[in-house]
Amino acid sequence: MSTATRRPDPVEEYVSELTAALHGPAKAKSRLVEEMRGGLLDTAAAHAEDGASEEEAARLAVREFGTVEALAPACQHELTIAQARHTARTVALTAPFLLACWHLSRAGDTPWQALAAHLALIATAAAMLAAATLAATGTLARRLPTPHRLPLAVAWAGTTASAAMAVATLCLTVAAALATNWPLLAAAGILSAATHAIVATSARACRRCVGLNLTKPVRG
Amino acid sequence: MKADAVRGHLDGLLLAVLEPGPLHGYAIIAAVQRRSGGALELRTGTIYPALNRLERLGLLSSSWESAAGERRRRAYELTDAGRATLAGERAAWTEFTAAIGAVLNPGPQRPGLAT
Repeated sequence: MSTATRRPDPVEEYVSELTAALHGPAKAKSRLVEEMRGGLLDTAAAHAEDGASEEEAARLAVREFGTVEALAPACQHELTIAQARHTARTVALTAPFLLACWHLSRAGDTPWQALAAHLALIATAAAMLAAATLAATGTLARRLPTPHRLPLAVAWAGTTASAAMAVATLCLTVAAALATNWPLLAAAGILSAATHAIVATSARACRRCVGLNLTKPVRG
Repeated sequence: MKADAVRGHLDGLLLAVLEPGPLHGYAIIAAVQRRSGGALELRTGTIYPALNRLERLGLLSSSWESAAGERRRRAYELTDAGRATLAGERAAWTEFTAAIGAVLNPGPQRPGLAT
């Protein structure tokens, strides 16, 4: 086979470099990369129609497109906002669980339950911030500039909610072991553990995107 | 015009070429270049994150389109909010060019304003 000696296709090389440079929700990222690859292939096809060889056409298309280094910050900015919105939606959707958890855990009178109830309230506040973020990065952003640090705020709100719920789970487990109304507390513990698991993964992904954005300044 | 100068007007350019009807990425680039007579230098890749942002803001809507035997392409369309924003961009541009033009190419001085 002669493929081993053939030079890699400039378009596919560009697309793999771009794919490696970007991080964000899988669906949003694959859509953006697929569109950009399609744009490169369409541009190359237009050059080929004008008489360029296949390789020359692909090389010209890549050159006109802009380097991965130049384009990645704007692309990453969009993916970071997409991830922040994803995390915000996850955190906001856990609000009813958090309120149920708070309601169940404040019923008792042990300090463990009181602490769990406070933690559930902290997590609920984070969920409300997340809901506000969804509005601020959506169509409302036409009127209000999106604060540069908003994705960072979401990342840490999600982290706070998930950490609060992890500690609340521990408190509720201890409280359930000591209390007579343990089934209620166990139910609250399960809710808080579930909330922690759901939010933690998304918050971690959001922190990762924000870290990328902070190291690569975004223009425009 | 250099790429840096064009960047600040990219949103308006994208909205304007989508005014007649939906287009996909490459057709948008071709339309900008055709309308400008090739005078605008544009790193063509920059339109993709820009289209993404305009859609997030609700100024565009998009959907995948595929013709038989061809790769699918994402087509973008102006929303009502996009049309309103385009009208605003046009008015602001007219005002801006009129003000700069009046300074660069002053007409005959009005008698009352002579110093």
